[in-house]
Amino acid sequence: MAQATDQRTATTTFREAIRTALREEMERDDGVFLMGEDVGDYGGVFEVTQGLADEFGEERVRDTPISEAGFVGAGVGAAATGMRPVVEVMFSDFLGVSAEQMLNQMAKMRYMFGGKTDMGITIRTTEGGGMGAASQHSGTLHTWFAHFPGIKAVAPATPEAAKGLLKSAIRSDDPVMFFEDKMIYEREGEMPTDADFTLPIGEASVEREGEDVTVVATQRLVGESLSLADELEGDVSVEVVDPRSLYPLDTDAIVESVEKTGRLVVADESPLSYGTHAEVVARVVESGFFSLDAPPQRVGVPDTHIPFSPPLEDEVLPQAADVRTAIDRVV
Amino acid sequence: MARVGLVANPAAGRDIRRLTGGAVVSDNYAKRRAAASVLEGLSVHPGIEVLVAPDEAGIGEYAVSESPDEVSATLLDVPTHGTREDTRLAAARFRDETDVAVVLGGDGTVRDVVSAVGSVPLVAVSTGTNNVVPDHVDGAVAGVAAAFVADGTVPIEEVAIRHSTVEATIAEPERKRSIRSLATMGVVDRPFVGTRAVLNGEEFVGGVVSRAGPHEIGLSGIVGGVVRHPPDAPGGVGVRLGPPDETPRTVDAVTVPGVLEPVGVADYRLLDDGEEFVFEVETGVVSVDGERDVEVTDAEVAMSPSADGPYVVQVERTLAAAADRGGFDV
Amino acid sequence: MGTMNIETAEGRLEALRRMCTIREFDDTASELFADGEIPGFVHLYIGEEAVAVGACSALEDDDYITSTHRGHGHCIAKGLDPERMMAELLGKRDGYCKGKGGSMHIADVDAGMLGANGIVGAGPPLATGAALGIDQRGEDRVALAFFGDGAVAQGQVHEALNLAATWSLPAVFVIENNQFGEGTPVEEQHHLDNLSETAEAYDIPGITVDGMDVTAVNEAVAEARTRARNGDGPTLVEAVTYRYRGHFEGDPQPYRDEEDVEEWRERDPIETFFQRLRDRGEITEEEFEAMRSEVETTVEEAVEYARDAPEPEPEDAYEDMFADPAPEIAQFAERLRADGGERGGDR
Repeated sequence: MAQATDQRTATTTFREAIRTALREEMERDDGVFLMGEDVGDYGGVFEVTQGLADEFGEERVRDTPISEAGFVGAGVGAAATGMRPVVEVMFSDFLGVSAEQMLNQMAKMRYMFGGKTDMGITIRTTEGGGMGAASQHSGTLHTWFAHFPGIKAVAPATPEAAKGLLKSAIRSDDPVMFFEDKMIYEREGEMPTDADFTLPIGEASVEREGEDVTVVATQRLVGESLSLADELEGDVSVEVVDPRSLYPLDTDAIVESVEKTGRLVVADESPLSYGTHAEVVARVVESGFFSLDAPPQRVGVPDTHIPFSPPLEDEVLPQAADVRTAIDRVV
Repeated sequence: MARVGLVANPAAGRDIRRLTGGAVVSDNYAKRRAAASVLEGLSVHPGIEVLVAPDEAGIGEYAVSESPDEVSATLLDVPTHGTREDTRLAAARFRDETDVAVVLGGDGTVRDVVSAVGSVPLVAVSTGTNNVVPDHVDGAVAGVAAAFVADGTVPIEEVAIRHSTVEATIAEPERKRSIRSLATMGVVDRPFVGTRAVLNGEEFVGGVVSRAGPHEIGLSGIVGGVVRHPPDAPGGVGVRLGPPDETPRTVDAVTVPGVLEPVGVADYRLLDDGEEFVFEVETGVVSVDGERDVEVTDAEVAMSPSADGPYVVQVERTLAAAADRGGFDV
Repeated sequence: MGTMNIETAEGRLEALRRMCTIREFDDTASELFADGEIPGFVHLYIGEEAVAVGACSALEDDDYITSTHRGHGHCIAKGLDPERMMAELLGKRDGYCKGKGGSMHIADVDAGMLGANGIVGAGPPLATGAALGIDQRGEDRVALAFFGDGAVAQGQVHEALNLAATWSLPAVFVIENNQFGEGTPVEEQHHLDNLSETAEAYDIPGITVDGMDVTAVNEAVAEARTRARNGDGPTLVEAVTYRYRGHFEGDPQPYRDEEDVEEWRERDPIETFFQRLRDRGEITEEEFEAMRSEVETTVEEAVEYARDAPEPEPEDAYEDMFADPAPEIAQFAERLRADGGERGGDR
């Protein structure tokens, strides 16, 4: 569904794709500005905004105090009055600190005010374990925000999706949470170079076609599932669907895939109970129950926090092997 | 037994001149510490009894709780409402029950005390930088001075002055009012009392001062650039001001804290006690010690100096006199 | 400043009228709530009129304000229409928020009113953000946050002050110290006595003014606005005032002393301002009576308008969640309505 007319691509990293989207949107619209802890000269804790302060100046790439409630709130106030702030919350684990402004202001203002307030804010944040950052810097919280009415939530897995979705998020008059899996910043892929390229929020992508089982995977697990599918080639034919947007969720694309394969595995790094997995399964059950040939399977974190020590962390983080086990259970 | 009153005004000095001029304020933490310091100073001669006024910010209460063993401090049993009436109620008790009263606040606070304290001498300590009457002196130093006056180490007539005041009658078509100020009474060309503080010198139409000196701020400083008049001298000075280019004389003056500006002096006159200096005011505000106080319309405002003001202890003079008498010897 | 420049006699009368309108609007809201015509919670501004009117009379029409749960006064002071406000209180389609917000969420962003707010302390970060936008666009306006004494204990208020101070934003922060945070007296909630001393922590000026005197609030906010526009950053103004009514309508108010109410009523912001204007010959008793009866008519008409306004269609509940709607909402709604037949409670 890429809207670009220029079909050229470049091989780039996930990180560079995000930076490209930020740069292009700041060039396109003076109302776009970045704000967050260390996003300026420092370039962001994961170097995503590196160089942007030099290009656009410190007013448009604005370092903030360590004050999530304050600067997220300021982003909401700026958006309500016509700006397009892109606010970085360094780790999603810190979202709780600013939750009030997101949940009661950002998400509700348009509705409470009878539809009159645009809320063109994008909140970028990082998720995911795998680097020994322990429980307060490794969480995957996107379910909270996908669940909460009035917020759109996207979680790209590829450079193409990162660029296309971030540009759409920034241009959107709705609040969009943009979840970046910190383990895939170095992931490379083809990214359309056209500055007009965007991807619509709410559309899934069939990353690999297959016949036997549908793996609905997000973020890091998209890449791992694709590698797994290559490994299983000839043995099991795996279709990999990346929803890309968690809310709205592209039910049709997922159900269509399950109608073809009859089997469903959902792989997402959030905790298993009451989660993203459950939502995908529920929609398939509601809309495609009679296509199912086997019980749907969930792959995620078994309701623990993310521990520090590598053997412990490796134990709870979902990986390709877990997806394979799940596939084996149903195929 | 020597008895000393202590009152602090928690609201003093939160005024708008922080925006329009260079006013400095002290917060209530500083006021609590200053009040405790006064008690520390009062311990110079053991056995002094101190009556401390309560207030809504707990300044007095804190001072009592921190009081040194040599001092017997108690909190006055009077109600508080968080208004200037609190100060007056405490002052009325000081009139009957103390030998000297220590006042922490500005000109306004001192004036409130004066209205009820009778002839009890005051040690006035400024808690800001915007004041004419109170001394800018450490709380403990003020406390020592108060102790020496209270216990008779130094005779009051040697170390206190009687500060003149200014009275005014405001006659409007439908009513007549009387007010009093300590140092200055002015007419301000401004429609409302608003935030009370006089915001700039241009607004002064004129007034009467009971004291004048070029080191002072406001109307008494403006007049002080032309003629000096000590606070305990009989009479005062009346002055009319105008735009600098339309008056025979123009002086530089610190008209409000932090603001130096030229002020045109149309005329001035030395006044005897009781001699009236009259302003006809279409609409304006009468200011009292630098604060806009009374809105007037079609009024005749007759101001005059008065000699029946408070006894104000001169801290430096008191300490010197006490030292000469061995008051600091242990 | 608009039509309410209180340096002029005309503007002073408008300020008086605006305060009377707030009083009449909220007196009427109180009655309608008691009669069961207004659902939910209603927090009234009676007694505090001088703060909203004093502050808004120092603003320009395109300045922004953020409000509180006690927001009717701010709305009227900012020039919102009592008819659409009352329609919102009654949950009608023609209310400012089409009946989706109610008393606690009246907003008119186009008029610079960024919303009443049900979360204590949520407004100041929004005002800081609005001021940030003004700063980025280089506009000649300011953003002013009204918040209560209770909000001074909220962390996000301090974060907003720190941001606005650090970035020298064109913001004005107005504490409405009405002596109570919900059902607890202010002195039991703060160690500070002068709440404006909070400013010292952020190296910005904090001043305390008489919140029962519309001229004092006006002058303070006017100076704060000038300061903000000169690039000198935010100012914290504490307006000391009094809430005549309970925290909400129906509040039994075990925390309040009736004598205090009487003491404060002696300094009633409307009555005292009227007397001052009368004494300077700008309005007579008769003219004031006439003004009051005009205001009564205005509010009566607002009530009529609100009563006559149509109820929202139940399915309007599914509108206005997003600029670009999420398909889920329509799908879920369709299923709900297809299965459920007649919906709605039995209230």
